[in-house]
Amino acid sequence: MGLQGLPTMQTKPNAGLFKRNPPIAGEAEAIERAKNGDPDAFSKLYSLHKRRVYTLCLRMLGNVSEAEDMTQEAFLHLFRKLGSFRGESAFSTWLHRLTVNLVLMHLRKKGLQLVSLEETINPSEEDAPKRDFGSRDTQLAGSVDRVTLERAVASLPPGYRMVFVLHDVEGFEHNEIATMLECSTGNSKSQLHKARLKLRELLRHPDQLPEMESSREVVQ
Amino acid sequence: MSDLSNLDFNSMTPAEFEQYLPELFASGEGGKLSEDPRLARFLAANPDCAALVSDLETIADTAKNLLISEQEPSDSVWSNIASKLQQQSDDEPVDLSE
Repeated sequence: MGLQGLPTMQTKPNAGLFKRNPPIAGEAEAIERAKNGDPDAFSKLYSLHKRRVYTLCLRMLGNVSEAEDMTQEAFLHLFRKLGSFRGESAFSTWLHRLTVNLVLMHLRKKGLQLVSLEETINPSEEDAPKRDFGSRDTQLAGSVDRVTLERAVASLPPGYRMVFVLHDVEGFEHNEIATMLECSTGNSKSQLHKARLKLRELLRHPDQLPEMESSREVVQ
Repeated sequence: MSDLSNLDFNSMTPAEFEQYLPELFASGEGGKLSEDPRLARFLAANPDCAALVSDLETIADTAKNLLISEQEPSDSVWSNIASKLQQQSDDEPVDLSE
């Protein structure tokens, strides 16, 4: 299914995403009612999915204000496109992809060219991960605190953050990311690796990571 | 995609190993590189490489857990959506069905 004015992505179900997006009680009924113009049903869909959509926007954009604007855009877009939802994938998967496409389009409009990862979203020299193995005495202690990782991800350059969030957090495959970002799968793999190397560097000095903007966290 | 099947890890330098790492991680979806028997000798002989692999696996594993932690948007997001939808329906009656 293509979204009007947005890049088309394959609708091949991603097993990982389906596992992560089990059906939600009352959702199917709310979708049908919202399709028929019931505002309360649309409000229910918002309540069910606002956190997932907002968190995705926040992770991809790294900025509360932009993430809220994109969340708003995503639900307004959903409102217009809901009639085309056929139930061929989980609704949350469909909404998730719609949101990813909107965020990518937003970033392109902002001037973040995603056409060639090598040339355009490669970070500057100072942002790039250092090409050494590091010493073992500063090895991560075998576990990383989730909140600290969240802060480190927010500190990544946008191109690295995008690929890392899409692959390691959201569970997209490299071929799907390559389609979304209009790059090769090799680029996607390479960017992911660089993102992880950069995170390793950042996580060695967690005290130097900037604080996250305030948001209300909900752990499921 | 690089062919990894013919790689001789035992004669590989750490720098060469790092070159192959993105592809090795990508090809090992679901399994841990640190537990790949092909790499056992190499990693035992190159503790810095072993530390690197271990750290990158830790980062990837922790990232999976980020999905369960979600943030709450401010109430103004819904207010704005509702107001825009109301405005839209005043201009033109809304029919969400096709």
